[in-house]
Amino acid sequence: MKDKIGILIGIGIAAAVLVTLSFFVLNAGNLELNEISLIGIVLILVAFAMYILWDRIKNVKKGLPAQDERLKLTNYKAGYYGFIAAIWSAVFGPLAIEILFDYELPGHLVTAVVVLVSGFVFATSYLYMYWKGK
Amino acid sequence: MKTRIKELRARYDLTQEDLAKKIGVRRETILFIEKGKYNPSLKLAHDIAKALQTTIDELFIFDV
Repeated sequence: MKDKIGILIGIGIAAAVLVTLSFFVLNAGNLELNEISLIGIVLILVAFAMYILWDRIKNVKKGLPAQDERLKLTNYKAGYYGFIAAIWSAVFGPLAIEILFDYELPGHLVTAVVVLVSGFVFATSYLYMYWKGK
Repeated sequence: MKTRIKELRARYDLTQEDLAKKIGVRRETILFIEKGKYNPSLKLAHDIAKALQTTIDELFIFDV
């Protein structure tokens, strides 16, 4: 039951993110390159969430748990890497963009970069450890 | 760390999925333990040993 509630909440969150994103795209008019790249990362994160949800549904249908001790450990490790990435991207993200593109990131975009970079690092490290079993 | 899980599974005619269901973990967890890519907790090691009617000492071979 707990697994099923978790899956339903996950589907709800992913759907809410997609709806919000579609409203943003519809009302944004002409999108700039930085906005398009941020939307791309959001879509990658939603695809990652969908994959994880699909995998959990598959296991629950077979009568296996959605999450066990190995996946909990994977979650903790990936969360740690995501946290480190958040700190580094907050410090060096705006600096790197200013040096490389001569563009000063406004505050709301710095927040977006931090959230999306940490999310991306979480997703990639989670998938790596999930497939490799480390 | 090497294990004898595969050998004992074969003795009791259990698939990875059967064993996973018995002890309440995902099939991949059994796979990675068998390959030596994941070190289980003491509780999980105990549960696997119990499911395969053996002891932890018999099940896991520690390389020093």
